[in-house]
Amino acid sequence: MQSLRFVRAVAFATYKEWAAYRSHMAVSIFIGPVYFLVQYFIWHAVYASQDILNGFTLSEMLTYYGVMSVITYLTFDFADWNLQMLIRTGKYVTFILRPVSHVGFALAQKVGHRTLGFWMEFIPVFLIYLFIFKIKLLPPQPFWAVLSIILGFLMTFFVNYSIGLTAFWLTNAEGVRRVFLLMRDITAGVFVPLSFFPDGLQHVLFYLPFQFMQYIPVRVYIGSYELAGITMSIPQVVGLQAIAVLCMWGVCQLLVHLGTRKFTGVGV
Amino acid sequence: MKSLLACYRAVIKTKLAERMAYRTDFAISVLLMLLGDFMIPLVTLLVYRSGASFPGWTLQEALLIQAVFTLAKGVAFPFFFGIVSTTLYHVREGSFDVFLLKPRPILFLAMMNAFDLDDFGRLISGGVLFGLALSGVPAPSALHWIQFAVLFLCSLLVLFAFSLFLSGLLFKWVGSSRVYDMFDSMSMFGMYPGTIFSKLFQQLFTYVIPIAMIGFLPASALLGKGADGAWLSMGMSIVFCGAGLMFWHGMLRNYTSAGG
Repeated sequence: MQSLRFVRAVAFATYKEWAAYRSHMAVSIFIGPVYFLVQYFIWHAVYASQDILNGFTLSEMLTYYGVMSVITYLTFDFADWNLQMLIRTGKYVTFILRPVSHVGFALAQKVGHRTLGFWMEFIPVFLIYLFIFKIKLLPPQPFWAVLSIILGFLMTFFVNYSIGLTAFWLTNAEGVRRVFLLMRDITAGVFVPLSFFPDGLQHVLFYLPFQFMQYIPVRVYIGSYELAGITMSIPQVVGLQAIAVLCMWGVCQLLVHLGTRKFTGVGV
Repeated sequence: MKSLLACYRAVIKTKLAERMAYRTDFAISVLLMLLGDFMIPLVTLLVYRSGASFPGWTLQEALLIQAVFTLAKGVAFPFFFGIVSTTLYHVREGSFDVFLLKPRPILFLAMMNAFDLDDFGRLISGGVLFGLALSGVPAPSALHWIQFAVLFLCSLLVLFAFSLFLSGLLFKWVGSSRVYDMFDSMSMFGMYPGTIFSKLFQQLFTYVIPIAMIGFLPASALLGKGADGAWLSMGMSIVFCGAGLMFWHGMLRNYTSAGG
């Protein structure tokens, strides 16, 4: 109960803090549809000579990008940037002295930040895609879609937080962070559906944690899952995602433990 | 002019020394630029590999457009596009006022301060991609090379104009790093064959906001495809750049200090 009050208080403070910069967030109403418009033209041109490409019809492909775009607004995270900044500048010291874990604090911040993002980014862009681009954005299995997005939200946080933790060893982890982010986005299917990659690589991607961040939530939202020739029912794949989130939480806790022992307060 | 160059040289030396304090991070950043710039071409490659294509464009031709785009960014980002990040940071921190006190043109100071070694990675990736794409198309004639050179200069003008518009916005829209997202989303239109877009968008991005000039038009010239309206778009690029300069100086006049 006390933990819940703590999460609510930090989330509310973060919400209020970011609401002061709401115009920064509202730009997504312009950026999201512009990105989507480019994809719209690209795939219309590509599908001019064929009906199915790697198992996707044109309509499914546009739905994939539309869903990927709106889900990103729900799971977006920059815990990695924040954490590495705190470690590099020595400000992390203040969190060691507090009677709360920084992981919980950062997660609560993300809850507040994304709550604001929900109505400032997700809702308007969702409506634009639905009514202007006529994209099928209503999930066939809403319960599993919501559950998968929540798990994707947690997975994104734990992966990003773990990337931020590399600052304990590297001090200035900006370069590493950007490499990870790039690899993460490629292997999470942000740029192109993972089924476009060569077969061998798809098998590797299946065992990496990144597909659980965005690719699986998108596929669950659409209502079917397939990667590397492996198909699963929606409850099965969400179950697998839940196990992956638990594993990633364990990895994250281990890294926090090891990193805190390494921390010297450089920059204080 | 001599004193401006001396200033620039001094800044480069300082930036180099500063960046070498974190050599590993610098090396990773440059490598990352290389990898990052290969992402869009990778998607293009995957699309073509799956048997699809942009109608009327071979893989090498489509890659050449993206290579020219990357090359233009590779020149723009280290040398002048950084005025966006300079303005973003210094206006937010309240330290932009220091530029106003120095005895050199403010725009020059902002550009000089923005010199970024990491962004040379983009120049390398642009060069590599350009070489790779060019090796797969028939050798361009001398005339095509001349046309390309002129249009490539215009593409730099367009990028300069964008940097001025975005940087100018930040005098009022304090601390918003979303301007980069705005640029990235809009400039995506310049990375693909203009012919895949509807007529309305083709005209918009050729004659009004000449985004097609960043990658598509110079690459078309090199391929001898002679895209419609290239020369008119060239004029528009100059007008666009002039508008950017006016906008930036206008916004600077309205700057009332912030942050600190």
